[in-house]
Amino acid sequence: MNREIKERTILDAFAEDFVHVVQKHTKYIIVSGFVAIAHGRSRGTEDIDIIIEKIGKDTFMKMHNDLLLAGFECIQSEYPEVIYDDYLRDKTSVRYVRKGLLIPDMELKLAKDELDEYQIKTRKKLPLTGLDLYFSSIEMNIAFKEELLRSEKDMEDAKHLRIIYSDTLDEKEIAKIKADIRRLRLS
Amino acid sequence: MRDKTHAEHIELWAEFVKTHPRSVWIKEVKPLIDSQIIMANKFYERLAKTEGGMEKIKRLRELRIRKGVV
Repeated sequence: MNREIKERTILDAFAEDFVHVVQKHTKYIIVSGFVAIAHGRSRGTEDIDIIIEKIGKDTFMKMHNDLLLAGFECIQSEYPEVIYDDYLRDKTSVRYVRKGLLIPDMELKLAKDELDEYQIKTRKKLPLTGLDLYFSSIEMNIAFKEELLRSEKDMEDAKHLRIIYSDTLDEKEIAKIKADIRRLRLS
Repeated sequence: MRDKTHAEHIELWAEFVKTHPRSVWIKEVKPLIDSQIIMANKFYERLAKTEGGMEKIKRLRELRIRKGVV
């Protein structure tokens, strides 16, 4: 077995297989808990969060059909029109799993405001993860965890990322994003 | 709230990850991540074989159909 493949966790493989399909249709970013886990945070999770561009229904339906062909299914509905009209357009996330399994799942949502659009615009591949994935920036993840999410687990994730990137973090960028979160998500 | 030894452990582990290549720390993390998922899915396989198990799995799935705004 290829050493790189062997070193991929189930979550790594799940994420890379999923975005292999998604990236053919739209830009995406992986955000939140899996960002910390991909940087060695030793905790479990049931889901991976992904934000994609605000695509139209036709593009979504093509992407959904490709996801089905790749062995994924959506928990919410098998009908892409229902998924788009009743969930995604309503700024509600949907969850995809490998067909027949319950976990892990990919929690997918459309970009909903300028903050999400900025996250996608400033997306990065993060070599320390060893994964061929686009993530929202480390500054973005720290800001969301410290300013919006704020659970004990989120604060620990942020602390972990702060240590890993202690020599390169842009504190001004974190402060700017936190101000945007207060303006767009907390007001 | 967990005690300070928990916070100290998080810091120690983060320092370890920062100062070692992925090929080293992934060996520690991979079994933890994979075992959680493997054990859960094996449980659901067993549950599916019990009386009413499929209905319970359906309800568990519905739990995850949430109107979430993040």
